[in-house]
Amino acid sequence: MKNKNNFLDRWDKEIKAFFSHKLGIAGLIGVSFLIIVAILAPLIVEPVEGYGAFEDKLLKPSMDHFFGTDDMGLDLFSQVVWGTRASIKVGVIAVSIAMLIGVPIGLMSGYSGGILDTLGTGLTDIFLTIPMLPLMIIVAAVTESNSINTVALIIGIFSWPMIARITKSSTLRVSGMQYIEAANSLGIKKRDIIFKHVLMNASTPIFVNLTIVMATSIITESAISFLGLGDPTTHSWGKILHNSYQSGAFATAWWYSLFPSLAIMFFVISFNFLSMGVRDALNPKISRE
Amino acid sequence: MGKYIQKRLFKGAITFFITVTLTFFIVRLMPSDPATMLMDPRMTEAQRQQMLMDFGLDKPLYIQYFTYIFNLFKGELGISFMQKREVMDIIMDRLPWTLLLMIITQAITMLVGIPLGIYAGYRRGSVFDQVTNAFAIFGISIFVPWLGFTLLYFFGYRLGLLPIGGAYTPGVEGGIQYFLDVGQHLILPIITLMTIYLANYVLYTRGSVIDVLSEDYIRTARSKGMEENRVLWKHASKNAMIPTVTAAGLMLGRMVGGAVLTETVFAYPGVGRMIYQAVSQQDFPILQGAFIILALSVIIMNILTDVINAYLDPRIKID
Repeated sequence: MKNKNNFLDRWDKEIKAFFSHKLGIAGLIGVSFLIIVAILAPLIVEPVEGYGAFEDKLLKPSMDHFFGTDDMGLDLFSQVVWGTRASIKVGVIAVSIAMLIGVPIGLMSGYSGGILDTLGTGLTDIFLTIPMLPLMIIVAAVTESNSINTVALIIGIFSWPMIARITKSSTLRVSGMQYIEAANSLGIKKRDIIFKHVLMNASTPIFVNLTIVMATSIITESAISFLGLGDPTTHSWGKILHNSYQSGAFATAWWYSLFPSLAIMFFVISFNFLSMGVRDALNPKISRE
Repeated sequence: MGKYIQKRLFKGAITFFITVTLTFFIVRLMPSDPATMLMDPRMTEAQRQQMLMDFGLDKPLYIQYFTYIFNLFKGELGISFMQKREVMDIIMDRLPWTLLLMIITQAITMLVGIPLGIYAGYRRGSVFDQVTNAFAIFGISIFVPWLGFTLLYFFGYRLGLLPIGGAYTPGVEGGIQYFLDVGQHLILPIITLMTIYLANYVLYTRGSVIDVLSEDYIRTARSKGMEENRVLWKHASKNAMIPTVTAAGLMLGRMVGGAVLTETVFAYPGVGRMIYQAVSQQDFPILQGAFIILALSVIIMNILTDVINAYLDPRIKID
């Protein structure tokens, strides 16, 4: 019982530290806002598709069209709002897949040692070296007619090395601690130690990195869509930028590329701030000013 | 040291081998069949077969794979579907442009980013640190193509100060004039590509300086009455460089990704833009070759980074 209270006290301190971290809070608000917009998109604005009216082509932002219109005469506000939904979806799928591959590999190389360690670490290092974006571009190019899920899948499959590396280093740190040694000498099964004790205690740095992977996965999705390899039927921020580049309208209509880019930045900054807040709350060495 | 380099080269070779194998099978095993891409509906069956044979596409997959590896050792990467030229020749026309862009960007980033990060970390919490940090966060969050667009829009279209694309003006030749022309074309792509890496460098260096400054040997140095400047630039910086250089090696791979986007926006004739063009033309030999060469460049630069690191950190050499 006493232990449990200690545990709660411990977390209480971290939560307090997080809530006194201005950037962390800003990140939390930003992320919540994005999630709400993504969920409520159908209530905010109707989706647009096909071609708009000719006289609606490339209109400046106004009360009718908050973000202006594109070269097809379609409302950009609607596209950006619906793009939020696509981005959150891509991020969640990509992060889940990256975690499913990266965490076991990291745990394996951090805790088991020996040949499994050499193999896991070697593989992680190799995949960290290979330029991932061009590789993902190639995969996206060979898998024809990409859906938004395919794109998310590709991003997830190639984002695991970062998670594996951080899992390994936190596993190494945790498994050297006395309570793991104690668990070992008590004769608790290795599998239980790994999942119950090591993973639980190594999970915070992993979480910090998941938010970073979330942010990078949106940059990657935007890049893939920008190059014209995304889902043609789903509104995504990268697709709007692709259209503005392809049509050449970016040189005359500033709003065409500005709003989707701001959305990307808002997304990335929010997730980065959130991860900074969590990281600093957990690492007093950095946060103590 | 010699043994360390040997080990590092071996790892580099394995990485390269995996890269080649991975790209080969990704390109071949995917649903879109490269053979049908090449076909012209007016071809006769005999012409079809001849063409498949020319590209080696009639053989079983594993034979194709070994042929590819064998040819790679001879410096051949196959023949472009669209241009009907040796892929290696096409890439070699373009690689210098990409290397020029990346090396200059890397050099400026290190020269500016590292001192900035060291100073920001040293004066943690100061106005200087906060401003630097704000810019760095902005920098890591920016979307490369948009930065490119914006710069093009203002400096190219609006102000007309700088060229709106390409790497040189056709017709400008001879010595200093050509040199200046190429330099002018490089300014915007460098700024675009640099922003994101500069921000990363600053954040990495700042973080490791903060870590190092709380170490015991720094307290010892200070308590010995050592000048602050010496503590910072000699002792702390040298040790803070180790994680930064490691990160620099890893960032190279991401810089290649940034180069694809930057070169596309600026119509810069490098390998990155070639990837974009090959994607829209479904020219797989080019795609495969370009990626292999880019990965090879990154692997080589990574080995160099690691060797520099081993030189900085004596602990690495022992193991």
